[in-house]
Amino acid sequence: MLKIGLFYSYKSQKTRKIARSIAEILGEDKVEHIDAETVTPEDFVRFDRMILGVPTWFDGELPIYWDEFVPALKELDLAGKQFAIFGLGDQKAYPENFGDAVGIMADILEGRNGVVVGETSPGGYSFESSKALKNGKFIGLILDQENQPRLTESRISTWVAGLAKDFK
Amino acid sequence: MNYSEFPEVFNIKNTPKELLSQWYRLMTVGRTIDERAPNYLKQAIGWSYHAPYAGHDGIQLAIGQLFEKSKDHIFLYYRDMLTALSCGMTPEELILNGISRATDPGTGGRHMSNHFSKPEWNIHNVSSLTGNHTLHAVGVARAIKYYGEKSVAISSQGESSVSEGFVYEAINGATREQLPVVFVFQDNGYGISVPKKDQTANRKVANNFSGFKNLSILHCNGKDVFDSINAMTEAKRIALEEGHPVIVQANCVRIHSHSNSDKHELYRTENERSFVQEYDPYAKFRRLLLRYNRFTEDELQEMDSAAKLEVKAAHKAALAAPEPDPASIFDFVIPAPYGSTLYPEGVHQQEGEKKKLITALNETLKAEFRHNPDTFLWGQDIANKDKGGVFNVSKGMQKEFGKGRVFNAPIAEDFIVGTANGMSRYNEKIRIVIEGAEFADYFWPAMEQYVDSSHDYWRSNGKFTPNVVIRLASGGYIGGGLYHSQNLEGSLASIPGVRIVYPSFADDAAGLLRTAMRSRGLTLFMEPKALYQDPRAAAVIPDDFEVPFGKARIRRAGTDLTMITYGNTTLMCLEAADRLEKEGMQVEVIDLRSLIPLDKDTVLRSVRKTGRALVVHEDKVHGGFGGEIAAILTEEAFEWLDAPVRRVGSTFTPVGFHKALEKEILPNAEKIYQAAINLLKY
Repeated sequence: MLKIGLFYSYKSQKTRKIARSIAEILGEDKVEHIDAETVTPEDFVRFDRMILGVPTWFDGELPIYWDEFVPALKELDLAGKQFAIFGLGDQKAYPENFGDAVGIMADILEGRNGVVVGETSPGGYSFESSKALKNGKFIGLILDQENQPRLTESRISTWVAGLAKDFK
Repeated sequence: MNYSEFPEVFNIKNTPKELLSQWYRLMTVGRTIDERAPNYLKQAIGWSYHAPYAGHDGIQLAIGQLFEKSKDHIFLYYRDMLTALSCGMTPEELILNGISRATDPGTGGRHMSNHFSKPEWNIHNVSSLTGNHTLHAVGVARAIKYYGEKSVAISSQGESSVSEGFVYEAINGATREQLPVVFVFQDNGYGISVPKKDQTANRKVANNFSGFKNLSILHCNGKDVFDSINAMTEAKRIALEEGHPVIVQANCVRIHSHSNSDKHELYRTENERSFVQEYDPYAKFRRLLLRYNRFTEDELQEMDSAAKLEVKAAHKAALAAPEPDPASIFDFVIPAPYGSTLYPEGVHQQEGEKKKLITALNETLKAEFRHNPDTFLWGQDIANKDKGGVFNVSKGMQKEFGKGRVFNAPIAEDFIVGTANGMSRYNEKIRIVIEGAEFADYFWPAMEQYVDSSHDYWRSNGKFTPNVVIRLASGGYIGGGLYHSQNLEGSLASIPGVRIVYPSFADDAAGLLRTAMRSRGLTLFMEPKALYQDPRAAAVIPDDFEVPFGKARIRRAGTDLTMITYGNTTLMCLEAADRLEKEGMQVEVIDLRSLIPLDKDTVLRSVRKTGRALVVHEDKVHGGFGGEIAAILTEEAFEWLDAPVRRVGSTFTPVGFHKALEKEILPNAEKIYQAAINLLKY
């Protein structure tokens, strides 16, 4: 079975730490780490299952490294590929756009025929709006290290366990 | 990149290389100047106020690229250096403003650095008061719509300016009137050191306006060139095609401190500072050009070198430019007024039927509206069927001149004045009359626009003047209490740049109003509302009567005492003088008519003759305009005086509502008589 591509910024602190936890749970032999800072279209082409670390920046934006990749991403055909997205957000300081980047990335991927898996429940969070919220569920895993750090570990493990079923 | 709700017209792949090159040049030149600006201060050359724009690069480039010079109208704020460059101003012009040279195209060194403007291209000269120009953009858009032009007004400002009440007034008015305005909120998260959370509950401040009708709100990434260009393209399309205002909230970062007098290290963590630095929009644009193979590194380096040379040449030329001449400080305070050839002294000998003061104002307004098709009138309560203002001064005007020229304004005094200033910017032919407030007492909320409008002519080095007459129903004697009795001239006369007139009689009211409406500049026209219907203030009025500014009128000649007065108290002075005449004393009564400019010659000539001066006005003695006249007499007529200059006016209290209180507080003929007797006996 092909490995899962695990994309995140190597320069990041919290996102990197979470990505490594995910890799540990999945098993290092099952994943290949890719630095999102230097991601290329070829990296996306060679995986069928990918996990993307997409924290929300500012008032609801993609991080700059993903943002700069979007023009290339918008030209890829992602049919037959599955994606799971996780991202950090801050529901207290930024309740109007909590985890927006996860939703933005999901829209782009789906717009290129990719399938996004790994939805989670918004229960336990308190926010006003989020682009990650689709049909009453988060389309990925949103983590809030600023306000709910103690829930992070269990949220990750529950999500990763679910991915084993979602990834086909 | 574009993942927003508006069409993606431009992206890194489809934008023509020539255009990308043009944008990169602007961004590189802009950054070079932005980074060099602090050096001018270090070398004591100038630029003591510099608000760096780094972090706003995308949206500022976009605003300028969408601006069509001499057709659209744009109002920049103090951080808009790249916007100015992108609008077409040259690097040399930016530096001329930065180091305050006489040839700075917007202000000639009079206004602060980092306030870039070029009025001849409709890059308007603006205040430092944040968001103040939002109302001007709405005003000029009103003209754009009225004259049917296909252009837009753009108001560029920081997100914190939205905390100002007048920004709400502006957006409310623009949506109500459906005007082609694009409001751009450049959101960097801070008002100096105050974070957005201390400004408003909503981080997306534009969404505070989401309940407004006829308004589109767009959010874009102001750090991204393409998202910003696409947002501005859509905003301009909506304003032009759908004919209603748009807010663009552009999310930016402020990479540096607010300005060179601020130290962001005092309130931003190192982590935050490095985080925003990481999202440097200029560096991002450069990376994109390389990543998507639009330019090679060599090509970019060549452009970098060319930009440096361009800035160097601009720097050299600007340093050689002349400094402002200190002898020029009195230039452009107030424009030269309309000159009367028919009535150079503002007097007439016509006989016939007398007309009341209110009739004089109404008929003169109508006559001037017939005379000049580019005249407009608005105010609160000004036009609804048979009603024309709270006192019916403008009765019948909307019926005759239509709703496009005569209309009600919302109860928002600052909006009334600010949009008059803005509409004036459309062209020189326009003349605007506003009822600044229902009563002068309610004018205070408009003070920021009043003060700012008073600066315009001087600040723009004579390139722009608001051509506006502000009418205010003033004074007491109607049992109106604290909020229907005030006189403002004592406070307002200390502000240069505005003419202030205060007639007492119907003919002078007509003549001064005609002159004001034909003049360039700002005139505060105070109306003694207690005399609107008073037969004693009625007068015969020639149809073409004109009263020049700064021409007092001797209403009664005398040799023993000079009474210097204006407004409501002129009639009281005349009554007291009649009484004194019966007792054998001859009093000269001078009706100033115009406080700014002041007819000093007539006053001094009279006092030289009489040797005694009593200054009378309705406003408070304390701080009233009479203090200025008394000081002039002390300085320039001391040798001729046989007695101290005395003053009669209101007590240093508000005006009470009960009749007995009002009587005690306001001056009257008896009080003037007693003061005159004392002075004559001195």
